[in-house]
Amino acid sequence: MRKIWAVIRREFVERIRTRWFWIMALLGPLFFAAVFVLPTVLAGGGGIRQIVVVDATTGSVGARITQLLNDSRVFRAVRVSAGGEVVDSLTAEVEQKRLGGFLILTDAAVDSGKAEYRGSNVSGFATVGALQRTIGEVVSAVRLEREGVDPRIVARARIAVRLETKKIAGGKTTGETAAQSFSLAYFMGIILYTAILLYGINVMSSVLEEKTTRIVEVLVSSLRPFQLMLGKVLGVGAVSILQFLIWGVSARILLANRPGFLTAGDLGEPDPVFQVPHVSGATAAVFITYFLGGFFLYSAMFAAVGAMSSSEQEARQAQQPVSWLLVLSFVSMFGMLNDPASAFSVTLSLVPFSAPIAMPVRWAAGNLPTYEIALSLGILAVSIVAVTWIAARIYRVGILMTGKRPNLRELVRWVRA
Amino acid sequence: MTSPSPSPSPTPILILDRVSKRFAGHTAVDELSLSVPRGVIYGLLGPNGAGKTTTIRMIMDILEPDGGAVRVFGEPGGGRVHSERIGYLPEERGLYRKMRVLDVLVFLGEMKGIDRRRARQRAEAWLERLGLAQWRLRRVDELSKGMQQKVQFISTMLHDPDLMILDEPFSGLDPVNTQVMKDTVLDLRSRGKTILFSTHIMEQAEKLCEQLCIIARGRKLVDGALSDIKRTHGGHHLVIGFDGSLGGAAQVFADKGLVSKVDNYGQYAELELASGADPQEILQRLVTSGARLSKFELQEASLNKIFIDLVGPEAVRA
Repeated sequence: MRKIWAVIRREFVERIRTRWFWIMALLGPLFFAAVFVLPTVLAGGGGIRQIVVVDATTGSVGARITQLLNDSRVFRAVRVSAGGEVVDSLTAEVEQKRLGGFLILTDAAVDSGKAEYRGSNVSGFATVGALQRTIGEVVSAVRLEREGVDPRIVARARIAVRLETKKIAGGKTTGETAAQSFSLAYFMGIILYTAILLYGINVMSSVLEEKTTRIVEVLVSSLRPFQLMLGKVLGVGAVSILQFLIWGVSARILLANRPGFLTAGDLGEPDPVFQVPHVSGATAAVFITYFLGGFFLYSAMFAAVGAMSSSEQEARQAQQPVSWLLVLSFVSMFGMLNDPASAFSVTLSLVPFSAPIAMPVRWAAGNLPTYEIALSLGILAVSIVAVTWIAARIYRVGILMTGKRPNLRELVRWVRA
Repeated sequence: MTSPSPSPSPTPILILDRVSKRFAGHTAVDELSLSVPRGVIYGLLGPNGAGKTTTIRMIMDILEPDGGAVRVFGEPGGGRVHSERIGYLPEERGLYRKMRVLDVLVFLGEMKGIDRRRARQRAEAWLERLGLAQWRLRRVDELSKGMQQKVQFISTMLHDPDLMILDEPFSGLDPVNTQVMKDTVLDLRSRGKTILFSTHIMEQAEKLCEQLCIIARGRKLVDGALSDIKRTHGGHHLVIGFDGSLGGAAQVFADKGLVSKVDNYGQYAELELASGADPQEILQRLVTSGARLSKFELQEASLNKIFIDLVGPEAVRA
């Protein structure tokens, strides 16, 4: 037992002494923040849009829309009267990127609800959505006024409804919004995938180092191969937990002080798809439980891969099937986010190789029956034992083998031996 | 060893009882039995591929025998059970390249079952003794190959084991470290430790070993004290000088029961003894037949010669 402890300590101490660990610890939160913020920034196009309102209306509609656009802080709008070559010269401006686009307003806007926007980027949903809302508001106000409705009543009627979505979990309404659930699920999926892969490969290279330097011979003459493998996995696992702790603390500090880059992408009040989620204790527990489960499952496989290879190069090839299992689980996360309760999602959260990513993602995205979690954890636990048993047998033989990599038949023989 | 070996204590420190190991397609070690007395330097000799490393790995519990049993210190179980009392230097050596020298030694000491504090003290003392003290906080890969070899010796002896198992300890050593290794082995021996080492270089074994076992193709060819082996396997060669009278020498030499080959020069003859023949009988018959002898010498064959005779030239080549 003391020897396993020494192996754990060595793995842990040597790893946190490396420069890489600290680079990851410090840059990790920045990286994940970038993963978060980038989609928002890219979708919003960033900053304030310069547009021109070409006003061909006979009433005050053009002026009112311009006013409202300027109030929104998303646009800086200038109103010009429609005339002979205005459209042509504005088109040229847009082409030279001096102008985001221009809005052509005629009386048809009020009569039949038609308006036209020409711009360099017409797919930016935030821009188009905001334009549409603004025009719609003014048009309906003008229509109501035409029907003789008191402008003050119109102004009061204009107050927007803000729909708040709240997740129901465990019979209680939580403070979590749908958007937050989505980003939490997305975020957890990315971290789980990255961390399991990263630390699994750490275990693999550690096994490979002992094999290629032949230290392993001295080690297995002092403790059982299984004890050595166990110590290694636990040691690297401890490093990953420390990494998460550092990330958790620094994320908290980062959020508390909300630096500029987190608010830069905030476009007034557009639909915030990516919001900083609230992480409850239960969510953290699910996350850590499945991370550890996934880490044990995959690092056992990675340890076996390291043991059957004789060089870094060989190991890189041999680890591909294992990595692919993980990549597939990660990619299918996007399908699950759309419908966390579909048969596809449920299946993935029960299959042990995808469960470590699938289950936390489903947990974050929507309400989950307890028995499903229990079932998934049960299957995962049994699989860890089975996979570790097989991996340990491959490991035991592999670490002493040199020369060519074993084929599948030889592997089967190692396991049976 | 030049001095006569003291009689070893009765319970052998290591016993192999009909130990076998088969790998896919071939038998690496075939019902090998041997016993290593306490306090000796024991050589496990054989050509490359004879099964030396496999045997050592079975002693060390790195491989599990397919048959037979290993007993160390009179108790069942191999090296892992008794790892506190056994030092092991494998044939192919390596260290954690990125670790500091002192940390590697402390870790390997812990693996052998001594606590960190003691491991550290001893490692410092050994590094001092082998002139590596100023390297103790450097990374292993900053050391020269020779220095790394020294660190490796230290790791083998750090826990002051009673039994040392060294697989080809002299292979790949530079002359300085060969000397260090030899001195260390002799020093351990003088402190009552037992050393088992494998080699395919007979000159080394002849100088160091008191007891040995020669194996080839996984089988034991001979084992026992070096002096006995030389007597039984090396005593075939007899040189006789005559002082004038030959007496009935011709008849004696012609006896196929005693002599298998003669190279007769008249006043001088070289004989190859028949197997099982007693040189004393030849001496007696020569003297009674009236021959006057100026020289009667049973020549000791070198271990190398015995080895080649036993193993056969094709096995040596392998």
